Amino acid sequence: MLGGQQHGPPSISFATVTFTVSFTKHQEEQMLSAAVPSLIHALPMVVPMDDSWISFDVNALAQNFWSATFDGLTFGAIYALVALGYTLVYGVLNLINFAHSEVFIMGCYGVFFTLSALNFGPSAPHLSFWAIVGNLVLALVVAMIVSALTALIVERVAYKPLRKRNAPRLVFLITAIGVSFTIQYLLYVWRGPSPEPALTMFRPTPIFEVFGTIIDSQQIVIVVAALVMMVVIDQFISRSRTGRGIRAVAQDPDTATLMGVNKERIIITTFVIGGLLAGAAALFYVMKIPSGVQYNGGFILGIKAFAAAVLGGIGNVRGALLGGLLLGLIGNYGQVLLGSSQWTDVVAFVVLVLVLVLRPQGVLGSSLGRSKA
Amino acid sequence: MTLLELKNVSVHYGRIQAINDMSFTVEEGEIVSLIGANGAGKTTTMKTISGLLNPSAGSITFNGVDITKMKAHIRVVQGISQAPEGRGIFPGMTVMENLDMGAYGRKDRSGMAKDIERVFDLFPRLKERQKQYGGTMSGGEQQMLAIGRALMSNPKLLLLDEPSMGLAPQFIRQIFKIITEINNQGTTVLLVEQNANQALARAHRAFVLETGAITHSGTGKELLANPAIKEAYLGVG
Repeated sequence: MLGGQQHGPPSISFATVTFTVSFTKHQEEQMLSAAVPSLIHALPMVVPMDDSWISFDVNALAQNFWSATFDGLTFGAIYALVALGYTLVYGVLNLINFAHSEVFIMGCYGVFFTLSALNFGPSAPHLSFWAIVGNLVLALVVAMIVSALTALIVERVAYKPLRKRNAPRLVFLITAIGVSFTIQYLLYVWRGPSPEPALTMFRPTPIFEVFGTIIDSQQIVIVVAALVMMVVIDQFISRSRTGRGIRAVAQDPDTATLMGVNKERIIITTFVIGGLLAGAAALFYVMKIPSGVQYNGGFILGIKAFAAAVLGGIGNVRGALLGGLLLGLIGNYGQVLLGSSQWTDVVAFVVLVLVLVLRPQGVLGSSLGRSKA
Repeated sequence: MTLLELKNVSVHYGRIQAINDMSFTVEEGEIVSLIGANGAGKTTTMKTISGLLNPSAGSITFNGVDITKMKAHIRVVQGISQAPEGRGIFPGMTVMENLDMGAYGRKDRSGMAKDIERVFDLFPRLKERQKQYGGTMSGGEQQMLAIGRALMSNPKLLLLDEPSMGLAPQFIRQIFKIITEINNQGTTVLLVEQNANQALARAHRAFVLETGAITHSGTGKELLANPAIKEAYLGVG
């Protein structure tokens, strides 16, 4: 459900204004989808907009190429941060942790409650620059802690007992899906079906212009912060002692144990790192989609982040980064090319399928263990 | 002094018993060989000593401490190090990173530097290939790396699981020469082998393993001279 803007009128450019305009539509959509999540969500897509409902508007793409690119990168950065959590856990445990989308949405609730307590609301706050920065950093820290704790609890409660009993992999998978639904509906019981009130963190201001497209402060903040985090994680995995332990367990858990690596500790560390990154993604997500905090708000984003991880090559840290950015870009290009934001996910997933047909191991292929990073 | 003692150890995989009431000791400073055919329980024995498998009965004592319940990664710090069957090289790590992994549980940097020198003295080839990825090396080089890596934790007891597996004859001789050298430097060695000839010739003492139990024991020379063993494991007689 990453894409308040994705349901807005297609002609609108992507920066700044988009979110306020499309916000109400997004909310409508979310309320609808709350009732019957998957069916209604898919419904608007099959309704033709007029008589020619598939048309390639190359002109629009040429005109909006750069704005689509920068906006796609912003979404891509968020996908990538969440995708890292899928990829790291997959690398170490060969487990697709479907509960990771809930790890992410818990972070969103962390952001929401922190900022609500700090008197943020639907309209942009009247605070000094540094006051806003301070508040956002606080929200970031809270979100990271909440998500990391969620990830840790999920691991201890759901997966560790299965590992102890040497459960087959399918059991882990079903458990993951079960945990995902459990958390979703606990949130539902607690917060109800509708999204939390919107939170505007700051009014995006134009920073500079590239090829006639205005880049605003929001895009810069998200992309730069996400890239910094990804570089830090990449270096941590490739250089630190714990990172070496993670790679060793990913390549060969038994041999890693023979080297003196505490496998259980590595597993915990991996879940916590994934949680921290999901928490960071949560802040950026709420920044981009102020009304996106909802009990099932992590579901579509989780699927897309997982798709990003697979696209880049699951188990591969740099693959998650590349896959996230690619998925963000492809979705946005497709949306402009086909003239409606409802095409975003269609295009993104069609490209995913095509890439996997040609290269089943993903773009970068290699696993966390084999990656030479 | 007895470094390692297995007392009435049994190991099960589910309902299948892989090791049946096995007892033996390894004295400090020895090379001890366990020989046996495929499926005799050699690797199971090794994994049980290093802690990857838990015995269903019996006890294991190392250096005077009961380690039966001790976690595998702590046994490494206590001084048991294993070069696993199939070498277990991390293919995506360089030779140097692989060696660093061997010292994962260590904190004394000066001791690690000394051990790296020791490994490079024993295996000059590894020094030349420091930056090469483990997965790109030949079988013999990988075996050298596996043994070198196991030495990086400065173990009291080195466990070698089929060090000669899949190697050319000149490599096998070289590996066993180096094993003797490691032993002369003061490291106790327990190795399991199908290649009984070299394993018995280099060992102070040896045991023959058949379907999860010890059937013969003696010095390496005694077993080499035993006609039954000659017939079964040395391909003569």
